[in-house]
Amino acid sequence: MAPSAQTLASAHDLDLVALAVTGGREAFGELVRRHGSAVRGLLRRMGADPTLADDLAQDAFLAAFEQIADFRGEGTFQAWVKRIAARLYVKRWRRDARLDLMAEPPEPDAAPGGGESGAADRLDLDEALRTLGPSERVCVSLCYGGGLSHVEAALALNAPLGTVKSHVKRGLDKLRARMAPRRPLEDPESAHV
Amino acid sequence: MSDKTFEMDLERQFAATPILPDSDTFALRVTARLDRGWTFRQLLIGGLGLIGGLIGAGQVLGSGLLSRLETISAQSDTLVKSGIASLPAARGLTTLLSVGSGMDSQVLWMSAGLGALAVGLFVTRAIREL
Repeated sequence: MAPSAQTLASAHDLDLVALAVTGGREAFGELVRRHGSAVRGLLRRMGADPTLADDLAQDAFLAAFEQIADFRGEGTFQAWVKRIAARLYVKRWRRDARLDLMAEPPEPDAAPGGGESGAADRLDLDEALRTLGPSERVCVSLCYGGGLSHVEAALALNAPLGTVKSHVKRGLDKLRARMAPRRPLEDPESAHV
Repeated sequence: MSDKTFEMDLERQFAATPILPDSDTFALRVTARLDRGWTFRQLLIGGLGLIGGLIGAGQVLGSGLLSRLETISAQSDTLVKSGIASLPAARGLTTLLSVGSGMDSQVLWMSAGLGALAVGLFVTRAIREL
């Protein structure tokens, strides 16, 4: 007998995976409900527009269902699907030849709100990611959002490891500069608040 | 902020994704695609099985296997009856078997057909479970 929706809603991810392995599509649907937003969010952060992010997220979940028996529970289910989705995004991007990792990175964009005089003390991650070059954005998202190591990211991107590392380093430097809280000395008033 | 702390903070922010308002709709779309794929797979397997069965049946009929089997069946029927008839204690049984002498081969084929149907049902069920 198929478990009720209430039972599924309260079940642990690993139990749902076990049901999905035996063909339980309702159990897998519950996993999609739980983790769909995270996977779609990662794809958007990597640079996919919302429509493409949704399409790829769907493909990632379908691929996950096909390969569900390979999930060993060594990490979380969400991290596993995120890796699948991140690889699908990279594959799509490479197919569309939009990602040239060997290209020189663009000059840093001005921070939203206007550089030095920017009002925000701390930029939101999504805003900060938008200021990165496409290659930096993909590399940083793969490693810090998709959970891939530098080596895995290099393999997924079919790029030299050194190139990936330098994109990650440059991306992190830019993110740090844009997301770090303003030092108190720069804004004496806020230091006394 | 140290490099390590910043990287941990970055991972935490990546992990903290807000639930999108249409998450239920998205899940329904995925399960619908899953169901469509499943239905298509079942139809494909069933269709291929039917085609294969028809081809196999055509081959069997074309090779004259049925008439040969019928002959063998009739011969074995005669052999069994003559064997039983030679046993004095089993004369009643011979009478019982000979009631439907014309029907014996039909019963045999019906049994074989039902057996094939049962195998077919079992295979279909097994495919569903896989």
